Amino acid sequence: MNLMSDASVTDRLRTLISVSRGASYVEARYQARLTTEVNFVNGELERIRVVENAGCGIRVLVDGCWGFSSTNSLSSGALKESMGHSISAARVLAKTKKSKVTGLAASKMVAGTFRTSVNGSLSDIDIEQKVQIAREGEKAARSNKAVKAASCTYREMLDHKAIVNSDGADVEIYDSKPEFSVAAIARRGGQSATAHEGVGVTGGWNDLFKKNHLEYAVTASERAAKLLDARKISGSKSTLILDPAMVGLLSHESIGHMVEADFVLSGSMVKDKMGQQVASEHVTLVDSGRSEIMNNAGGTIIVDDEGVAAGRTAIIENGILKSFLHNRESAMMFGTASTGNARAFQYSDEPLIRMRNTFIEPGADKLADMIKETNHGYVVKGARNGQADANGEFMFGAEEVYLIENGKVKELMKGASISGNAFETLRSVDMVGDEFHYDIGTGYCGKYQPAKVDGGGPYIRCTAVIGGLQ
Amino acid sequence: MQDLLRYAIKEAESLGASDAEAYAAASAESEVFIENNDVKLAKSQKTSSIGVRVLLNGSAGFYSVNSLTKSRIKDAAFMAVKIARVSPKDRHHSLPGRSKARMLSGIYDKKAESFAASDAARMAAEMLGEAKSYDSRVSVDSGNFNADVATHVLANSNGSELAERASVFSWSIMGMAIDGSDISNFDSQLGGSHSVKGIDVRAAAREFAETVVNSLGSRRIESFKGGMLLTPVAVNEMIQEGISHSINSDAVQKMSSHFAGKIGKNVSSDLLTVEDDATNVEGLGASSFDREGVPHHKNIVIEKGVLKKFLYNTYTARKDGVRSTGNASGSTVSPPSVSTTNFVVRPGGSRLDTLVSEMKNGIIISRFSGNVNPVNGDFSGVVKGGRLVKNGAVQHAVKEVMVAGNVFEALRRLNGVSRERKIIYDSILPYMRFGGISFTAG
Repeated sequence: MNLMSDASVTDRLRTLISVSRGASYVEARYQARLTTEVNFVNGELERIRVVENAGCGIRVLVDGCWGFSSTNSLSSGALKESMGHSISAARVLAKTKKSKVTGLAASKMVAGTFRTSVNGSLSDIDIEQKVQIAREGEKAARSNKAVKAASCTYREMLDHKAIVNSDGADVEIYDSKPEFSVAAIARRGGQSATAHEGVGVTGGWNDLFKKNHLEYAVTASERAAKLLDARKISGSKSTLILDPAMVGLLSHESIGHMVEADFVLSGSMVKDKMGQQVASEHVTLVDSGRSEIMNNAGGTIIVDDEGVAAGRTAIIENGILKSFLHNRESAMMFGTASTGNARAFQYSDEPLIRMRNTFIEPGADKLADMIKETNHGYVVKGARNGQADANGEFMFGAEEVYLIENGKVKELMKGASISGNAFETLRSVDMVGDEFHYDIGTGYCGKYQPAKVDGGGPYIRCTAVIGGLQ
Repeated sequence: MQDLLRYAIKEAESLGASDAEAYAAASAESEVFIENNDVKLAKSQKTSSIGVRVLLNGSAGFYSVNSLTKSRIKDAAFMAVKIARVSPKDRHHSLPGRSKARMLSGIYDKKAESFAASDAARMAAEMLGEAKSYDSRVSVDSGNFNADVATHVLANSNGSELAERASVFSWSIMGMAIDGSDISNFDSQLGGSHSVKGIDVRAAAREFAETVVNSLGSRRIESFKGGMLLTPVAVNEMIQEGISHSINSDAVQKMSSHFAGKIGKNVSSDLLTVEDDATNVEGLGASSFDREGVPHHKNIVIEKGVLKKFLYNTYTARKDGVRSTGNASGSTVSPPSVSTTNFVVRPGGSRLDTLVSEMKNGIIISRFSGNVNPVNGDFSGVVKGGRLVKNGAVQHAVKEVMVAGNVFEALRRLNGVSRERKIIYDSILPYMRFGGISFTAG
């Protein structure tokens, strides 16, 4: 990518910050992103594209109001003009904004250069090899005869960021996030069944393909075929053993969003529950910008877009609600410290409170014991999309559900929906496994702008409603 | 901008491309965000970008940069050709010939040029105020008002040169009602217009406020099978994707369309007529030409329940030996795909209150939160803002009710379509009522 040399980017941002007048806070973020995507469908190249998106986003706080502007030109004239727009935008709100921002929580501002540790730089891998991986993956996804359609995507995002603000942040970041995903659709008569497999990491080529790419494809292919013959589940409240991906999705969708401080302020049901028992004592639920417990979690960010270190935040510790997720503004309102959750997807996006890697910490139970001690229930795997509501109701899809009868795993059932109330479900957790995985790293979270997130955990046993079709 | 596009095409051709296309967009945008019952942030920005698509010995390459300088465009052309050299061949790749689009009127309002950030802030505040004044229990979690003026320019090596300017105002409001420990379901409402005159933030705010207040005091119910009346938003969430996927030629060719092989056959009750209509300027998807420069016109896709046609871009049309329907879609950051433009369901003959009063036993669904499999049509999820109807009268809000079924089976049991319609960005949808739907108590 032939964009800006490193020194000139941060220098320009520093100069810009130093000449800002009339703003109580100024933040300038440069970001150059190179996205590469290769997608094969049914034996044909569906899409190949490379996209460069680079520029600078400037956010200011003027008279207690936020203004934001961005520019794709990095000339000093364009940057100054953009700063002017940002200040005017903030002033526009002065008349209508009821409660002005009184300040930002004091935070230790990070300075320095950070590089995601990569095993196998993505820039060193020729595009031809990325095409080959996707082509082979798609072909292998059709290896089972019942599979009539398949798709395979390789995608990577390479970021160069610089964050400078008037409170002393001066950060340069080089990040690398590749992902690989496969879908297989089996068909017989009027019946069809879809299976997905994939991996998304923060890291390099070899971090992504610790497991051979064809393994993902063959697994998806075989599962799609098996799902064709699977029986449907009838709706009921049941004992469920959730796999790490489902635990990640539950943590993210049904708890994580509810504890985002902006959402708490709007009236999320957790607002008065700090310090209370909201989950069983077996549950410690964490959101971290670091890749805790295992390497290469897909939502790893090191430093957030306000220049705050993105460390570990225990949201729930042994069942007790301990923390919300904050940026500096919400932290000030709650009289606490920022948890480093301010994130912007691209240079043209303003930082919002977003999750990073959200998971439940492992316990001591063996999966085999969890199954053995379940008289009737289901092992629920393969998280699909999910939604959660302000009152704690959640619902998400699972692709792979196995019936458990008398402590033994029986047949594979068709995909199902899991629903319930988030806290009731977490209160019902009575066993927490000892194996840990991140497993939703191919996912993006949406909140006006996307964010690359990850999540996971051990297997956990809980009670929720399972049923319906998918 | 046309000069830069011609330059991109010349560069690509000089590097060996047999065909080249350049598509650029430049926009100026003002946006105000609402958060936690207050305006939050004002944003103003200008963006510009170009996507260069090339064909070389039957292979395609694509590269996009968000800069309209000559040197970056030259790099983009070079990289697009480089990518084409490693891409597999596909004999169906081609660019459309030169065509003359009839330019639409009504998608650009000159007044949009002078619509300032302060106007956007005023609109956001008005929407917020309307929702809050409806009922003190209404809590607005988030929302926005956006004003955007964009110019789209396209040129290709077959001599096409097209440009269009459009203004789009759009707004959204989302949140819940809170009454002590009783927290309603989320609701979100959207609106949009191409003209300053068409801006009506109050309607979205009132609808949002009414929906969340109505879903307070929700009660659990027993499982049952009965009628389902979807609001336009719920039609958009539950029904639309299944249809728009199935009428997409790309899905048909990939054997993932439920409607494959059903042209001329009934796919729904005769109450349903669906148009894909980019020339309907009420929808925000209106434009004169598609992502490849093919002129837009109205396509009647389903007429009185009978499937009439699929939607094509140039690539999928060539595969089937037909003409593009003008449904190449996408932006400057990706090569064209196929999608609907404005998804329009023709109004029915019944009034909304008649649709309710005719219901014996059923649920009105404001929003659907769940999964829809567009391939086989299966859907399952949770009813949001649901209200139980018995013998034609609304009883109370319901909680934790799951609804499951199949979109294509439901369409055959469509037994009511309202005269009233709502514009949801690029969808224009009525209320739709279906029979024989399974509701499961949580």
